Amino acid sequence: MAKRPSKMVEEGGGHDLNIDLKPFINFLVVLIPVLMLSAEFAKISIINLKLPEGRGSSTSVKQIVAPPNEDADKLLLTMIVTDSVVTLGAKGGFLPSLFYREFHKYVSREDRSVEVTVEFDPSNPKKQVKNPKSGKPFLINERQEILLYVVDENRKIINCLYTKNGEMLTDGAGNPLKEAKAGDTAFILTNPRRQVIVTDPGQFGLRPLSAYDEMKNRLMKIKQRYADVSDANDIILAADNEVAYDKIVQLMDVARAAEFPNIAISKLRS
Amino acid sequence: MAIKRGRNKYTTPKSTGLIITSLIDFFSIVVIYLMKSYSAEGSILTNADNLVLPNSVAITKPKEIFLQVAATTDMVLVDNIPTVPTDDVRRIPQENPDPIVAKLEEKLNASYAQELQMVKLGALNKIQGNVIIQMDKNVEFDVLFKIMNTCGKVGYNNMNFAVMEREQ
Repeated sequence: MAKRPSKMVEEGGGHDLNIDLKPFINFLVVLIPVLMLSAEFAKISIINLKLPEGRGSSTSVKQIVAPPNEDADKLLLTMIVTDSVVTLGAKGGFLPSLFYREFHKYVSREDRSVEVTVEFDPSNPKKQVKNPKSGKPFLINERQEILLYVVDENRKIINCLYTKNGEMLTDGAGNPLKEAKAGDTAFILTNPRRQVIVTDPGQFGLRPLSAYDEMKNRLMKIKQRYADVSDANDIILAADNEVAYDKIVQLMDVARAAEFPNIAISKLRS
Repeated sequence: MAIKRGRNKYTTPKSTGLIITSLIDFFSIVVIYLMKSYSAEGSILTNADNLVLPNSVAITKPKEIFLQVAATTDMVLVDNIPTVPTDDVRRIPQENPDPIVAKLEEKLNASYAQELQMVKLGALNKIQGNVIIQMDKNVEFDVLFKIMNTCGKVGYNNMNFAVMEREQ
């Protein structure tokens, strides 16, 4: 007759099968303050400017010898930004200007859910925008983002297809894509461009064409075409007096994304 | 008659284990989040009060502490010492091809002389002329140009802009 297993064997040989989690919790309780001490939530980084040597008129060093004429094989690419236009120019001439309308997005400091996006009028820059909840005007520090949308000759905003991640779509020639059918080939504006075959046109949506994206698109085309010039990494950013610093930093980001890391800043003389 | 002391079914169980699975889940998520924002280097740059830096995709970290010039909408500061009101900078005529902010120049000259002295003493190999410019993102380009021009005039030609790193 088979012997019935004892009760102790049935319960697992008398050992408690539950893992003792107390040491692990102790470890986590110590680890979390250590990590919190060395965590960096707002990361500050720097953008280095590459100012051309010996060309500045404002340095205290007096130029005795005239700089040699070394501009012969240079492109001298310049991005000009004013309150309504962004233009690319080079030694050979200018590309067609990108006219834009400017929108400012405000987020209330007291209540982060209150967001207002209003069009900026360059002729009335001091115009105040009211917080719809409190009725008080927004402070300038509450301006979260400056959005630039490309417009046509009738000042109507041009739309373009974007992916769900906010990446612009272009055709094979690098022009903004306004519609796509299943089976079409499109290119996503990353550096380098990513080719996609459209299977479901619903995965892309029409959005206002951002001047920053279109400028990146144009700069990438220039970079591809003039890769052999001696100043292929250089760009001069010439800005109008009233242009906000934020806009300049965004355009610097665009230039760096299109592989123009050596950025010089210049003033647009009226 | 003696009272029978036996087990009755209403006695409390011997031990009720604390359910800590959810607590461990929470801790694990916090640890992963904190490890993501962990920085071994630390931050040597701190932004001045009342200053909103622009967001950028730049990821270059400052390696050394350079001279810092900060410009808020109200005040221009050199190494966190208020130097000149921003409105005074705005008042310098825009037509001036070589605008100099006098009070800022004075302060920068003092710092430059200090660096020169350090080179003489052998504490520095050469004058590097590095400056970090922290500008409020809502300040206009005119102010930036005048500050940059003043820095260049004094000899601080290697300029860096401080920006807030954007989440990728």
